[in-house]
Amino acid sequence: MKKYICPICGYVYDEEKEGIKFDDLPDDWKCPLCGAPKNLFKAEAIEVVVSEEDDEEELREMNYGEISALCSSLARGCEKQYLGEESKLFTKLANYYKSKSEIKESSSFEELVSKINNDLETNYQKARSVASEKEDRGALRVITWGEKVTMILKSLLEQYKNDKDFIKNTKVYVCDICGFIYVGDEKPEICPVCKVPSFKLLEVERGA
Amino acid sequence: MSEVRAVRNLRICSKDCLCLYVCPTGATDTETGQIDFSKCIGCGVCSKACPSGAISMVPYQYPKQQTKDDLVIAKLNKLIQSKVEQEQMAEYIYKNSNDSIEKQLAKAIIRANRLMTEDLYREAGFMLPQSKNTKDFLKNLLQQTKDETLKKDIEKLIDLLDFNE
Ligand code: SF4
Ligand code: SF4
Ligand SMILES: [Fe+2]
Repeated sequence: MKKYICPICGYVYDEEKEGIKFDDLPDDWKCPLCGAPKNLFKAEAIEVVVSEEDDEEELREMNYGEISALCSSLARGCEKQYLGEESKLFTKLANYYKSKSEIKESSSFEELVSKINNDLETNYQKARSVASEKEDRGALRVITWGEKVTMILKSLLEQYKNDKDFIKNTKVYVCDICGFIYVGDEKPEICPVCKVPSFKLLEVERGA
Repeated sequence: MSEVRAVRNLRICSKDCLCLYVCPTGATDTETGQIDFSKCIGCGVCSKACPSGAISMVPYQYPKQQTKDDLVIAKLNKLIQSKVEQEQMAEYIYKNSNDSIEKQLAKAIIRANRLMTEDLYREAGFMLPQSKNTKDFLKNLLQQTKDETLKKDIEKLIDLLDFNE
């Protein structure tokens, strides 16, 4: 016995209650609530119980890279509140821990892309489902922005792989609010991800 | 002490109008261009007079930050962990490359990941520098480090921040 759901209004046809199989209903049967045709109805997805075991967050110490990022985040928080001295101190801590944080033994853009894929295929999905369930709009906001920024990053790395020169004659900008990377001559009027005006899109210079 | 103080956004201020005349304490006129917080009594007159909306009335005390669900924090932490690793990977590429374009791209990726991580932390329980989470974090750091200058900086921060819970 299955349930079928109207994609327009959400009406649920429950085979068990109705006593007639959905498939046995006439073809011109319509949603009793909104009149949507039978063929638009979708069978209710069997609920997949996501096992939480795999990521029961082991209580682990923050590593230096994470400490550094938290400190630079707090530095920005202080700056927003015009707390200049506090902001400077947090930045100092951020730099200190950044200098202590281990750098990968080796790395390549290919390896980066596989990390990115794991974020897009797993980490963002899981975070989104929990944030929606808990109705945490702030978390949903950071997930939505981050996921877009990450997708764009992935496509840039793919373009770079196919044609290393695609940035050669143009400029690179990073949105100082959300991290969106833009490659092009003229920056857009607003950041397409977080919608901040273009003066927050900062150019990344090409060094020597 | 008043509950708020006036702060001038120097990027918006056009530096040629009313605020100098309306302030009852002369706090708006300083050599740095910022308002003299020690003189400001928080009356808000300058903020109302400013035609550019360049002056905000900033509170000394902030309300408690929103509490976050543990599971939400755990999932955001997973993302944080991954973004930090990606920043370090890009850092490696940056340091070991001789190609100026590759370096430029790596630099952009370092910056993008750092910004995403900072943003994730805000939603993972560290929105407000004055929160208990921040206080606990700083105290923890203080215990762990043996670096004396660092210790002083952390102590100073704990002292300066007006923790609200
Ligand atoms: S809030 Fe009042 S005292 Fe403070 S700077 Fe503005 S006008 Fe002067
Ligand atoms: S009134 Fe506003 S814009 Fe004019 S000088 Fe004062 S702060 Fe600047
Ligand atoms: Fe943005």
